[in-house]
Amino acid sequence: MSTNCPTSFDQTLLSGYLDHELTQSDDQRVRLHLEDCDRCRRVFLDIEIMRETAMSTRFDGPADDQWDESPKGGLSLATRGLGWTMVVIWLAAVTAFGLWHAATGPESLIEKLLIFGGLTGCVLLFVSVLIDRIRSSRTDRYREVKK
Amino acid sequence: MAANHAPTAVALSAIQSQTVRAAQAGDVEAREILARSCHRAAFHFALHLTGHRDDALELSQDAMLRFFGSLGRFDASRPVRPWLLRIVRNLARDRARRMRIRRVEPLDADDGGPIVQPVDLSPNPEQTAHRAQIQRRLWAAVLGLKPRHREVIALRDYLDLSYDEISEILHIPRGTVMSRLHRARSALRKHLHGALGKEVGA
Repeated sequence: MSTNCPTSFDQTLLSGYLDHELTQSDDQRVRLHLEDCDRCRRVFLDIEIMRETAMSTRFDGPADDQWDESPKGGLSLATRGLGWTMVVIWLAAVTAFGLWHAATGPESLIEKLLIFGGLTGCVLLFVSVLIDRIRSSRTDRYREVKK
Repeated sequence: MAANHAPTAVALSAIQSQTVRAAQAGDVEAREILARSCHRAAFHFALHLTGHRDDALELSQDAMLRFFGSLGRFDASRPVRPWLLRIVRNLARDRARRMRIRRVEPLDADDGGPIVQPVDLSPNPEQTAHRAQIQRRLWAAVLGLKPRHREVIALRDYLDLSYDEISEILHIPRGTVMSRLHRARSALRKHLHGALGKEVGA
């Protein structure tokens, strides 16, 4: 048997042969080559053992109760949507009432500023979070993960 | 081309498509089935990418959330695993970039690392122990590979995905999958050569 491997032989094909991923003609070519080449046969046997070893390895995975996030079902998504809608309506109503009260109610300028400043801060924070969420959902790279 | 998993794969694929459609329609039980059938693959791939059990659990849970978050847009006729594993990979890369982790350290079980368990293929305890030792050495060598070699070894040799599925996950041509896989295997072989010789004799 030959120990000289022709330089034209592409050893990459050994992996394809091991994985049964070659065309019929390449498969036959590698099989014939392995009958004649000690060096490639040794490589092939080694990668075959490595694959068998990897396939027979089991990892100590998490128990089922360690998955603390259960998938969101239709009911969960619906209640979340409803919750957000109610929060937005509530915030709009409270803001409108607060601004109206700040404009017409208290005599003191300090009281007006406290109400106006607090409400404006809340609205700005809410708008800022909303803009971030909208922007990230538009640029979310996982959105276009192969459909 | 290999046609070694035709009828079973087709049947499984049809069942999975039905499950995905039911899950998309809001069937809670179908979503649970889908989650149970996928989360271990997500965890194991994450384990290979991060090298640490807790990180892998966190990453795979995040991937599952994104997976279910975008399930409505998924084409149910396509296989689920490549899609989920691609999410895992993207998350792992984002995480590595964010934390500037360029390599992982193989950890022992006591340090929170993964515990590699041998499958008892032989009634001979000595052979089982030897196999376990080889499995641990192989795992340590895999964690020492470059990330792009590690991921291709994980997908093919540990998770048993086809070249087409790997090509879809890594977004590289099929020929590149084969050449990258062979380079990774050659690197592992170089690292483990003595140990593999003993395994042959075992």
